[in-house]
Amino acid sequence: MKHTIQRLTLQRVNSLGIALALLAGLLLTGCAGDKSILDPAGQAARDVVMIWWVMLGFGTVVLVLVTAFWLYTFKRKEVTRTPADERKIARRWIIGGGIVLPVASITALLAFGVPTGQRLLPLPLAEPPEVIEVIGHQWWWEVRYPGAERGEVVTSNQLIMPAGEPVDFHVSGADVIHAFWVPRLGGKIDMVPGRVNKIRLEADEPAVFGAQCAEFCGAQHAQMQLYVEAVERDDYEAWLAARQTDQLAALAENDQQHESAREAFMTHCASCHRVAGLSSGREGPDLSDLGSRTSLGAGIMAMEEGAVTRWLQHHQELKPGNKMPPHNDIETATLESLGAWLETLTP
Amino acid sequence: MWKPPTMQRLHLTHPLHFVIGLTLWCIWFVTVYGGHAVACAVAPPAPEQGVFTLVNAMLLAVSIAAIALLAVLTVGCCRMAKRQIGRLRFNATVSAGLYLFSTLGVVFAAMPIIGIPPCL
Amino acid sequence: MTTINREATPEGDNIKGPHQLHSDLHEIWGNPRGLKALTIVNHTTLGLRFMVTGMVFFLVGGLLAMLVRTQLALPDQDFMTPDIYNQVTTMHGTVMMFLFAIPMLEGLAIYMIPKMIGARDLVCPRLTSLGYWCYLFGGIILSFSLVLEMAPNSGWFMYTPLSSSEYSPGLGSDFWLLGITFVEISALSAGVELVVSILRTRTQGMALHKMPLFAWYILAMALMIVVGFPPLILGSILLELERAVGMPFFEVAGGGDPILWQHLFWLFGHPEVYIIFLPAAGIVSTLIPVFAGRPIVGYGWVVFAIAVTGFISFGLWVHHMFTVGIPQLAQAFFSAASMLVAVPTAIQVFVWLATLWLGKPKMKLPMLWIMGFLIIFVCGGLTGVMLALVPFNWQVHDTHFVVAHMHYVLVGGMFFPLIAGLYYWLPLFSGRIPSETLGKWGFWLTFLGFNGTFLIMHWTGLLGMPRRVYSYETGMGWDIFNLLSSMSSFIMSAGIAMVLLDFALHFRFGKPAKHNPWNADTLEWANSMPPSAYNFVSLPNVETRHPLWDNPDLPSTMAEGQHSLAVATHGRREMWGTDPITGKVREIIHLPGNSWWPLFAAMALAVVCISLLTRLYPLAGIAVIIAGLFLLRWSWENGAHPKAAPDAEVAPGDPPLHSRTMDGPGLWAMSITLIANGSFFLSYLFGWFYLWTVSPEWRMPESSPLSLLGLILAGAALTAGAGILEKLVRGLRQGRDAGLVVGMYSISALGFVQVVITLWVLLSADLAVTETAHDAIILVGLAYVLLHGGLGAVLTLLQGLRVGYGYVGAHAPFEPAVVAQWWRYNLVTFWILVGALAVLPRVIGS
Repeated sequence: MKHTIQRLTLQRVNSLGIALALLAGLLLTGCAGDKSILDPAGQAARDVVMIWWVMLGFGTVVLVLVTAFWLYTFKRKEVTRTPADERKIARRWIIGGGIVLPVASITALLAFGVPTGQRLLPLPLAEPPEVIEVIGHQWWWEVRYPGAERGEVVTSNQLIMPAGEPVDFHVSGADVIHAFWVPRLGGKIDMVPGRVNKIRLEADEPAVFGAQCAEFCGAQHAQMQLYVEAVERDDYEAWLAARQTDQLAALAENDQQHESAREAFMTHCASCHRVAGLSSGREGPDLSDLGSRTSLGAGIMAMEEGAVTRWLQHHQELKPGNKMPPHNDIETATLESLGAWLETLTP
Repeated sequence: MWKPPTMQRLHLTHPLHFVIGLTLWCIWFVTVYGGHAVACAVAPPAPEQGVFTLVNAMLLAVSIAAIALLAVLTVGCCRMAKRQIGRLRFNATVSAGLYLFSTLGVVFAAMPIIGIPPCL
Repeated sequence: MTTINREATPEGDNIKGPHQLHSDLHEIWGNPRGLKALTIVNHTTLGLRFMVTGMVFFLVGGLLAMLVRTQLALPDQDFMTPDIYNQVTTMHGTVMMFLFAIPMLEGLAIYMIPKMIGARDLVCPRLTSLGYWCYLFGGIILSFSLVLEMAPNSGWFMYTPLSSSEYSPGLGSDFWLLGITFVEISALSAGVELVVSILRTRTQGMALHKMPLFAWYILAMALMIVVGFPPLILGSILLELERAVGMPFFEVAGGGDPILWQHLFWLFGHPEVYIIFLPAAGIVSTLIPVFAGRPIVGYGWVVFAIAVTGFISFGLWVHHMFTVGIPQLAQAFFSAASMLVAVPTAIQVFVWLATLWLGKPKMKLPMLWIMGFLIIFVCGGLTGVMLALVPFNWQVHDTHFVVAHMHYVLVGGMFFPLIAGLYYWLPLFSGRIPSETLGKWGFWLTFLGFNGTFLIMHWTGLLGMPRRVYSYETGMGWDIFNLLSSMSSFIMSAGIAMVLLDFALHFRFGKPAKHNPWNADTLEWANSMPPSAYNFVSLPNVETRHPLWDNPDLPSTMAEGQHSLAVATHGRREMWGTDPITGKVREIIHLPGNSWWPLFAAMALAVVCISLLTRLYPLAGIAVIIAGLFLLRWSWENGAHPKAAPDAEVAPGDPPLHSRTMDGPGLWAMSITLIANGSFFLSYLFGWFYLWTVSPEWRMPESSPLSLLGLILAGAALTAGAGILEKLVRGLRQGRDAGLVVGMYSISALGFVQVVITLWVLLSADLAVTETAHDAIILVGLAYVLLHGGLGAVLTLLQGLRVGYGYVGAHAPFEPAVVAQWWRYNLVTFWILVGALAVLPRVIGS
């Protein structure tokens, strides 16, 4: 009997040691990556991480104590007690551990939690915040700036936002339910067809963040990435200004050497894709400033020379099931010229 | 008029009281959640009003009524438990505990009504 | 009520020797062999079948989990294609939840409950059998989709519109919806009969507050199944109608709302977690006193905690939906309620602790698993409280943190106690003891492997890894943790394999166990090991919570036939029907014997399921009718039918047979069934009002398409029929059966009148059911009325026939009271529906 207990505690100690060593390792490497909740870059995310560490500490103490008490009951010496004593001890355990402990914990938690949640609410502000619309599609992101000075700016798979000020995101879904989530800035919100949900986020300073669809949305849920960059207010406005429709249209039309590519685009792509000044398709991502983006296919590959052509040729192998039809019937030369032209669309 | 036999006089030592308190809690919960959803769908108050809206007031009123009802039943069962022994005492005690939990459950879950604007 | 005290004296002249009694009882209760084994209705056999089948599905689900971990072990793997991966994850969740956890625990309850409360079988044995066959066939159909590579792939909670026909065009979602609904019939039927069995068939003297805690837990679980499953059944029916016919319940453009599915799913899905946890906690509360060698401290506290958990768990469903964009105030209600559930859980943990503290606990193998349960479950409970906090939830929702939390709660809260329970009860199942060494190795590998897999996964989630991604790229800091998780998961698999090997081997190589090997206190250990089909030769008078501790001779005196109902000459399967509160004997319940009808009915339902899948609707219609005929044929052999109880003779001093009273278990079973039905109906009303108020593009026509006059006429027929039936039942209660035949036939005629008029209202409404959700949901409501009205009419018609055959009358007044409940229910729901669908829209307008 005793033997078993000793072995049990030994094993327990061992596994605890391993766990601690692991935890240390985790902490050292833990905060890498641009999607880590533990590496906040905005007030909302920072509050949550704060709460998390407190909850983790408290939870660990509770877990260790409860386990220790349970294990201790197997080791302690027998004591004979009167039934009245037994009742008193039992009541102490049950009321102390079963009622006081959880009630105190959850009250404290709610007292901290509710104000934190309220910071994320789109309450009316003295100066109305910037509004950016994000619409989820299978499996890419449509981003719209309805507040741009000279008419709405549209882009896709990249989100540029002003740093150091609150931004309201109005999100929705075009087909199925997706979820908008920039982990380092704060919580996520679902993008539901037929509804517009609002969330307020703020980035402390200019930086690049990872984002990914968080609600399971079908075959390529894993490959629905969003590039998020916070920039200074001036840069933001300049970025928007460069993407006004007339600017983009000039960019798309003025370049004489890509005439054949433009024709191919109008034949094969225009019904689904928009390039400002040329077409107005909305089935697929807007391509008007494609060359200026950092990645292709909602994060599937980096934007570099020749990348667009490779994507056009192999997109069904690179991202199986995506909604763009395969281009086997289009000549390679045509795809190459298309790729070369699209890469020049850099406002 | 037909009456279910148990309703003719439901003594406070009857085990049905194990479920009545929590059923009332559930009904309160659904009323508050549903009423709130309908209110926000039909006539959402302006966000500027904060928590001082008709919606919050109504939800609070319903909650206070539920708390009062459950508190009365708690006290009733407590008194009954003191007067009984054996099985009847067991039933009344457990019922009292469950009524008390339901009362405090309403108090706890209703607390946000005084701090959060309704339809955001 | 007369008090029955008929403890027989073994020396009496009329009393046969114990051996003779055993063989007499075996003659009546024993299981047939060969093909006829398919007719068995006995709870011991069916409980084992449930558990063995559950274990097979557990292996399937486990294999799928290993595939998932293999894919995620390294970044950028293409071991499986995205589509196959999504099928595998969806089926892993589905199989584990619906085909393993629930049926396994129900199987345990089906096996254990009659033995623990001193009964000889469950109260509706043929229903047990139907439940098993529905489970088996539904499970096979659902798993077969994996073989066809057509498995559902929209995640185990099947969110619309991803699962709708536009975005999931194959048969995958249909397999899920139809297969799961089929399996749920099984869960519901077991739920109904467990409730009635626990309330009405405890042995003499076992008052409510003296029954074993396990029975309390199972009572709560069964009631939760009864209330919790119907919302999902409704949701599945609506979604299948949308997929098959195009009724836009969840489609925004047609006036539906995808969020309605989430509400219906989680209205089921959250209670489901506690449906799984409660029986497992019941195992813990049963084992801890035995191994601590003392009664549990705070029996009343535990009953309190069970009741609170059962109810509060219905107020939590929205905490799975904190990110769908519900107002903050509503989220706060659910956040608070979610945290409240920590209180009853903590109470149980500390009751167990106090019991160990005040006892002399021994660390036997089952206790080792209980310790594993404690550590894992407390950890899962703590992360559960964290998740109830809305801002934190917004961050970690749908990440691997949630995956880890969920596995801590489900594996810790269900699997570990289950294995503890199985190790504890194996000697009862088989009469043999499993291997201690293999068991310990199994435990440590499982425990360490589990924590290695899932403790780390919390961290992966915090680093931002979403759930359900088939792959991830390197450089996020996720690689090493995923690799560790995958390696640990294989260690866990090895541990579980050892445990299952131990179980399998012990049936052949285990050492024979001595009687009551753990010195337990509850009645199941008064069985022979393994148990006989009738459990007990005689049924004792039990007035203590610890019958075997207070009276160690009880098993032998029971086996010698010294207690009640030790008679077998009448050829009936008999046991006590007792008062639900006091445990005083009210009547003798006689149970039906083995029957083909449950198997046949389940087979017909399987044909329905398959023909709906393959869109052969005429065949489905025929199979529905055939299934209905089988079920009615089954119900024919009831009550005073010669096959059920050839005569009503009872020994002098004994109470009457239940079929000769006005208060048999059938009445209770009907009430519980109607609670389930009512939950379905309320879910429907919720759907109607939800779409009306919240759906973004809801379109209400200017004037209601339903003829109010027609509905009032139909309602008048229904009300008249129900009124006459009440009068007849009141007469029967007073022993009068004059005019019963005519009465029944005219009630039936009124029922058919109601059906015909309602049908006319429906047809003349000219509904565009594929155009608007409004018309579609009205169609569902009227179909509900038609089905219930039609069934009510058929049942009263059959009652009329049965009066003619002499199966029903003043001598056997029981059945009309059961049918009257159905009519009463129809009456209430019909008028509510008229109010909601036809009157309110006229009053409020669109």
